[in-house]
Amino acid sequence: MAAARRMIEPAPFYGELFARERARLPGHGRSELERVREEAFARFVALGLPTQKAEVWKYSPIARFANREMVVAEAAVPRLEDVSAWFGGGPATRRLIFANGHLVPALSHVGGLPEGMRVTGLARAIEEWPEKVAEALAGCDPERSFTQLNTALARSGAWIEIADGVRLDEPLQLLFVHEGGESAAMTHPRILLRLGRCARLHLIETHAGTGDGHCFVNLVCQMALAPEAELTLDRLELGAAGTTLLSRTLVELAAGARIRQTAVALGGGFLRNETEVRLGGRGGEAILNGLCMPRGEEHADTLVRIHHEAEDCHSDQFFKGVVEDRARAVFAGKIIVHRGAQKTNAYQANDNLLLSDRAEVDSKPELEIYADDVKCSHGATCGDLDEGALFYLRARGLPREVAASLLVYAFANEVIERMADEKLRALTRRAVLDRVPGGAALEAEGLL
Amino acid sequence: MLRIEGLRVAVEGKRILDGVDLEIAAGETHAVMGPNGSGKSTLAHVLAGREGYEVEDGRITFMGEDLLAMEPEERAAAGLFLAMQYPVEIPGVSNMYFLRQAMNAVRKARGEPEIAAGAFMKMLREKAKLVGVPEELLRRDLNTDFSGGEKKRNEILQLAMLEPRLAILDETDSGLDIDALKAVAGAVNGLRTPERAFLVITHYQRLLEYIVPDRVHVMVRGRIRRSGGRELALELEQRGYEQFAAEAA
Repeated sequence: MAAARRMIEPAPFYGELFARERARLPGHGRSELERVREEAFARFVALGLPTQKAEVWKYSPIARFANREMVVAEAAVPRLEDVSAWFGGGPATRRLIFANGHLVPALSHVGGLPEGMRVTGLARAIEEWPEKVAEALAGCDPERSFTQLNTALARSGAWIEIADGVRLDEPLQLLFVHEGGESAAMTHPRILLRLGRCARLHLIETHAGTGDGHCFVNLVCQMALAPEAELTLDRLELGAAGTTLLSRTLVELAAGARIRQTAVALGGGFLRNETEVRLGGRGGEAILNGLCMPRGEEHADTLVRIHHEAEDCHSDQFFKGVVEDRARAVFAGKIIVHRGAQKTNAYQANDNLLLSDRAEVDSKPELEIYADDVKCSHGATCGDLDEGALFYLRARGLPREVAASLLVYAFANEVIERMADEKLRALTRRAVLDRVPGGAALEAEGLL
Repeated sequence: MLRIEGLRVAVEGKRILDGVDLEIAAGETHAVMGPNGSGKSTLAHVLAGREGYEVEDGRITFMGEDLLAMEPEERAAAGLFLAMQYPVEIPGVSNMYFLRQAMNAVRKARGEPEIAAGAFMKMLREKAKLVGVPEELLRRDLNTDFSGGEKKRNEILQLAMLEPRLAILDETDSGLDIDALKAVAGAVNGLRTPERAFLVITHYQRLLEYIVPDRVHVMVRGRIRRSGGRELALELEQRGYEQFAAEAA
């Protein structure tokens, strides 16, 4: 009975939608892939959609968004000027650009890559290596229904594979534009990334929501890093009011491999970002930074799971929230130090600014430790702007609103400056200033 | 310029200032001395408009205006400046940017045109040199990881840039060694003009050897117990605050 309340049945339209869409998916007719999709969809139906009785969804009523009638998003053809505002990197940056979950080949450019590096849209990867894709999809996240739904319906995304020792110095950008249309439309992008031994990549992932309607994005990223590989991931989410974005990033780190992720969520009606990292070999390192700034009625939920499975690994979580109006920020971060993972260093900080009486922050730090020689710490704070700092700025002539905005900017900037890409940092800072009342006055004086 | 009459102020129901009267004219430098807890810093904060102080009685006029009716930023625009005892560290905001934002906010409030970037930089370099603030400090985040002396110098740099009518120095000498104290005092003396007034708040007489006041006021238990010339400071140095505490009791 209890289990039944934690999950509810998916609405009937899902069955009809899968029956209709499966023939339109890339690689239709390839038996191995067909089987994986069928099994995933059956698994999705059997698992159902989580309600708020499920612990990891306690504060986030996802079923409200996921169980309303939706269609699969149709391809859109944006122009360059529609998407160039979100370009990160520099002139040599290669990009895959997706509109409503469909790759836009005319705007994408991934040519001239070094030997040993493959970057293609998922559909093309399915055409070329259906067995490899099927193998990557199968068995991923068997207990998570949204991953199963993604596996059943993923039609696009990216396949990124870098051979041993190959490094790409210029960043690679995956740019998603999600347009809310008249009828709520969903997309299920899948990113599959593999870095060989000592390979190195700087990936930029951007999500921009446009339009007044609703869209539902169910993204799954699987990233596997071989020993000593290094991944830098900058992610920026600029959703619209009707954007529901679920992202799930699964990272497997072998010995000495490192990930440095900085994820900033600046807008979107309902955002849920999950990152789960497995430190599976000695000496791995995971640095995760995050910022969300929900306002109005927005909801931003961050879930982090770090598994220390091997000795001598390091993890550091640095997450901040700025919550205005009637918005809500949720942070649940868990560090699990497995038996035998001695000499673990694991840190977690979650600091929040609560700027309105009706805003809410739910912060839940957790430690589970099964080894005895570890250094772990976590801390969560939630408060208003520092009164002394506010007075200091006002006493120098800054109007209250401008002073408050400057302090919010400074608070947010401590995360933003950890983004590796300069262009993305500038884009993010401008988006922060757009979201604070004194932002225009600050920008006028050349803050950026 | 500044007139304080019968000022009574409480914090969380406890009276800190108990009837302060003080008048400062343009061009004058006044010192308020007193032991810890006498209400000196409260006076400075109330003048600058910090929240959390209940003004129970009395009035303050600044340039003929009712100061207590003004927001802190309006007081700054009217020409009042408080060099703080504990300048706040604000990581993520550069010192230079902050100065420019402050200058233009004050100019805008006065209906003056904004200062052009080139003119600002020229002025900033000049004043920084005058006050002894190295260029490197201008590029750093505001007060962040500054030493005690650097913070105090940075306050005086802001004073020099904002050119107020009345500058209040709240324990600017605290935490300074003798060389830094001389340097800061020298910079302040360079800013003394017939139009500008100073209110120097200090615990020790030492600062007043370098910034020589026109008037000295002794504050004990929330009230000015005696006023006099600079010789009063020397008397305090020899005899301490105890005689005034006895008078107040």
